Amino acid sequence: MTRRLTTLTIAALMVLTGLAFSGACAKKTPTTAQEARPPVTAAKPVETPVPPPPKPAPPTDVEAVDITVMDIETLNKKGYLNDAFFDFDQADLREDARSVLAADAQWLKKHPSVQVLIEGHCDERGTAAYNLALGDRRANAAKEYLVSLGIDASRLRTVSYGKERPFCTESTESCWQKNRRAHLVITAK
Amino acid sequence: MSLRGAAAAAALVLAAAAVRAQTPPPATTPAPADDIQVVIKGGGERRLAVAVPALYAPGAAALQTKVVDPFTATLRSDLAYAGAFSVTEPEHYPTGFRDPTTPEAADRWLGTGAEVLVDTRADVTGDRVSVEARVWDLKSRKLILGRKYSGGATYVDRIAHTLANDLVKYFTGKPGLFLSTILCVVEQPGGGKEIAAMDFDGRNLRQLTSHKSIAISPSAGGGRIAYTSYVRLFPQIWTMAPDGADKREVQTGVELNASPSLSADGSQIAFAGSAHGNTDIYTIAAGGGTAHRLTTSRALEASPAWSPTGRQILYTSDLTGTPQIYVMDAEGTGSRRLTLAGNWNDEGAWSPDGSKIAFACRNEGDFNICVMDLVSGQTIQVTSDGSNGHPSWSADGQKITYSSRRNGSTQVYTVDANGQNKRQLTDGANHLQPFWVP
Repeated sequence: MTRRLTTLTIAALMVLTGLAFSGACAKKTPTTAQEARPPVTAAKPVETPVPPPPKPAPPTDVEAVDITVMDIETLNKKGYLNDAFFDFDQADLREDARSVLAADAQWLKKHPSVQVLIEGHCDERGTAAYNLALGDRRANAAKEYLVSLGIDASRLRTVSYGKERPFCTESTESCWQKNRRAHLVITAK
Repeated sequence: MSLRGAAAAAALVLAAAAVRAQTPPPATTPAPADDIQVVIKGGGERRLAVAVPALYAPGAAALQTKVVDPFTATLRSDLAYAGAFSVTEPEHYPTGFRDPTTPEAADRWLGTGAEVLVDTRADVTGDRVSVEARVWDLKSRKLILGRKYSGGATYVDRIAHTLANDLVKYFTGKPGLFLSTILCVVEQPGGGKEIAAMDFDGRNLRQLTSHKSIAISPSAGGGRIAYTSYVRLFPQIWTMAPDGADKREVQTGVELNASPSLSADGSQIAFAGSAHGNTDIYTIAAGGGTAHRLTTSRALEASPAWSPTGRQILYTSDLTGTPQIYVMDAEGTGSRRLTLAGNWNDEGAWSPDGSKIAFACRNEGDFNICVMDLVSGQTIQVTSDGSNGHPSWSADGQKITYSSRRNGSTQVYTVDANGQNKRQLTDGANHLQPFWVP
């Protein structure tokens, strides 16, 4: 009996650990979603102060990494630079895209030798020619924002792939969203 | 349109038919329609009923599958495709009657519903085939055309294509399409894209580039092909010979270098170029030189296409918030909007006589191919299935090739300019961005 309980406990621990791990990997998942709701009471309504939505953490905690020990492929795989995502048929930077690019800018300031290629990508909807132009707009919107944050324009090049090199090939909104992006690639360190 | 306007338009058509060889008149300022009429079945133009009995090849039975069958099938298929003909049912053809010189023989052919008999006979010597074609008017019992062709036995389909071209030219006055080429982009395993060429019917696909990168947007004119390649990482315009030889980079000095369009004489390339994230239409000499910027707005401009005369350029701009098709002079002046209906119009292509444009059109849902008559301003939609794009006209202005995405697969199709006679040319890997070589 005791042994059986122990086994169950271990199993439960494994599940929990698994959850913890998956939570750690999906770092963009908002943790507030898992907070317990306050119990509903039948008492007379009390005005509950609603806190403002959390602001994205100011990207001040970027640490310099020793990029000399890594090749460029590894640097890109490590994900030090993140991509900016866009709405359908838009090249304006969303709030989430600005936060990501602000963090990218911090990292680039810490690593002033790094050169970046910004690829503009689009989802499959619409004509190929228009999407090439739209991808160009997206890549340049990301570049201009990085420059406005103090990154030297000479470190940033842009290229549009339109809808010619999708990250995801299904005809679903989640897939389309993955394809509407400015993708940052380190080309020199 | 007023009666007088209609009469003037009819007179224009007649005049154009009478002096086909001359340069067509430039398109007048259109009055674009603000609604699209859906035409799927199209209006019944009269087709000439022709009887095409099997190639008569006396002798070896071995010729049946190697010569007779491919020749006969190709000739029948070509004529049925041409739009000007209908081929009568071969099962009803009389046996033993070839030349309709007697009333009895002619009646037997007339009984099949045919007005014209295309009688072909082969003489095979070794690996050479000689085909004699006699074309009879069955009512008058007169020989109206006699031609003789010869070639290798391994390509009798080309002899059939040549005869079909001659028949189209004889009966319609327009060039036949049966030896023409369609360029397209073929998606490679792993996502790369290469330029390929195929016969007008989708057969004989041959790859023209092997950049092992992304090569897209083929356009042809003046015996050269222009396209965009990412082989140097950043997209550049390249040109090459029709067989893929003699590839040359065209340095433009700007970025993007998308959707190049060769002028009819091959001397100029219009393209979508970018500086600082603003896409505009540029032109450059096909042999290289300085690029000239033609549009100056902050809006997005793309998809240029030369008019047949080289005096005007069609292009797309999102100046008003949605992509719409405009036309301007080759110097970039006199810009005016052509498409008023729908929320996305792009990829305009000029018909060979300059009187119509085909384009990818969308209001809600999927893209279709629309054809606008620049004289009357009327627009018809010629596709209805799948998501369609990238139209390009055949040299006779009768047909349009385009790509259509259905069930996750994009393939090349052709359709008559009135919406009839759809054909799928390719299958398997995705085939995109067709361009009918003039």
